[in-house]
Amino acid sequence: MMATVPTEYGLLLAGMLFALGLIGVLVRRNIVFILMSLEIMLNATGLAFVTAGARWAQADGQVMYLFILSMAAAEVAVGLALVLKLKRQFKTLDADAASRMHG
Amino acid sequence: MIRMTIDDLVALSPLLAIAAASVALMMVIAFYRDARAALVCALAGIALAFAMLPVAASKAPRQITQLLILDQYALFYLGLLFITCFAVALLAHGYLGRLGGQLEELYVVLLLATTGGAALVMSAHFVSFFLGLEILSVSLYVLIAYPRRSARGVEAGIKYLILAAASAAFMLFGMALIYAELGTMEFAQMASGMAGGDVRQELLLIGQAMIFVGVGFKLAVAPFHVWAPDVYEGAPAPVTAFIATVSKGAVFALLVRYFANLGDEVVQPFFPALAAIAVASMFVGNLLALEQTNVKRILAYSSIAHMGYLLVAFLAGGSLGATAVAFYLVAYFVTNLIAFGVVTILSGRREADEIEDYRGLFWRRPWLATTFLAALLSLGGIPLTAGFMGKFYVLMAGVESALWLLAVILAVNTMISFYYYLRVAFMMFRDAPEGEAAAIRPLPSLSFMGATALALLTLLMVWIGVYPGPLVQTIRSMVAGLR
Repeated sequence: MMATVPTEYGLLLAGMLFALGLIGVLVRRNIVFILMSLEIMLNATGLAFVTAGARWAQADGQVMYLFILSMAAAEVAVGLALVLKLKRQFKTLDADAASRMHG
Repeated sequence: MIRMTIDDLVALSPLLAIAAASVALMMVIAFYRDARAALVCALAGIALAFAMLPVAASKAPRQITQLLILDQYALFYLGLLFITCFAVALLAHGYLGRLGGQLEELYVVLLLATTGGAALVMSAHFVSFFLGLEILSVSLYVLIAYPRRSARGVEAGIKYLILAAASAAFMLFGMALIYAELGTMEFAQMASGMAGGDVRQELLLIGQAMIFVGVGFKLAVAPFHVWAPDVYEGAPAPVTAFIATVSKGAVFALLVRYFANLGDEVVQPFFPALAAIAVASMFVGNLLALEQTNVKRILAYSSIAHMGYLLVAFLAGGSLGATAVAFYLVAYFVTNLIAFGVVTILSGRREADEIEDYRGLFWRRPWLATTFLAALLSLGGIPLTAGFMGKFYVLMAGVESALWLLAVILAVNTMISFYYYLRVAFMMFRDAPEGEAAAIRPLPSLSFMGATALALLTLLMVWIGVYPGPLVQTIRSMVAGLR
């Protein structure tokens, strides 16, 4: 019999990871690091789903995690392609320097 | 054990058709690169998906596995999305031709994005909600940054990607919290789960609020609207039309279905917050639009305000509210397609989005200018246009539910909005630029497809405005089946 982790702890850990990722998105200026922080946020939600699924002894949480994983991969594929285009056009990866539109 | 029957597949056929069309189109482009062939294939695919609607309707209402549901409501919005996608593809053809280069893949991504929207309006489960939204979002990142030389496009694409991914993460975390409390991700079973005794209401509230962050971002309502002007400006004009219509409409349709399933008690704790968002959207959209000199940005701010109007109808609730939402969405779709359609037709290698581009348009392209004028008047809500009937139904729904303050604010905001719509309209009647000024802003020749699409859309807009009866009847019967 495995010792079970209480759901609250799992959700709390996921919440902390999510907050860390969010801070990263807000504070970091390099676009590659922003994308990495986004990954942390998405993985935190995955952890929350797995924890929630464990509470109800359902596979749904893990199924959702697989969907999140594949979606994050698709997102990063497009994201990195855009980063390449950005680097070529603006000669920088700084998010603020690449922001020209205002109003 | 989940088992799919032939009936399920038939009910699913519109979604299957539009998804298969994008794959088929990709194969066609791989072997035979031709702008016209790609357009014809894309249009055929959309038409096929549309033709599947009556076939699927014979099985409605039907729950297809736990994930999707096909009812009158879904069928109505599927039809709306397909027609919109058709119009955008027609408008994009001439635009891509003027842009030059091999750009046929745009149609593939356009069909994929529509698939995502179609999955959204059919979804009855968090998994399909999330998948539909993400198929739509990831396709939009590609569409926004599509033209290779456009620096504004890349900037807009990256901005949209970062904000959309962050808001998707918020939404997912909210879903996880709700799932952790209720043990179900099906909309229909949540209401009974929430009524249960040992549920921690505060976690549910946080979960719903986080989901609303994700939805609010997609709709670009007030605190989550910052991306809209930049993305509208940076994206190619036909794509902007798509973002303004399909992306927002599908999410709003889902929002109405979600809360119809959960019941009014769930909305009640959020009522003040949602009302504040509606008011803020109306004022932010209309007041910031006054300052703009870029037509796409003006339309972006106007669409923020329009989402505020729609939220008033949503808050009114009940079948009248759902009717008003559906009618307003149709009017908003048609009108925005025309407005962005005119921008598309005038754009080519450079986007014709400065307000100066429209100086004297009436004397140079009278029909096009008249069409644009009609769209602007409809956005403002002048009688005899679709926009007026839409506002009328929203106001009626608001008054019926005694949302007096919201109704008054809506009326005041409509007045403010006339100023900037008419500013663009007056610009078209100024003296046309001559000589050097005209050379900087050359008018591209009208593309046949785009002009046809615009003419049909304008007829539709006037028809809805003058004789809304049949549409209202359709919407009433479809809303009646919503639960």
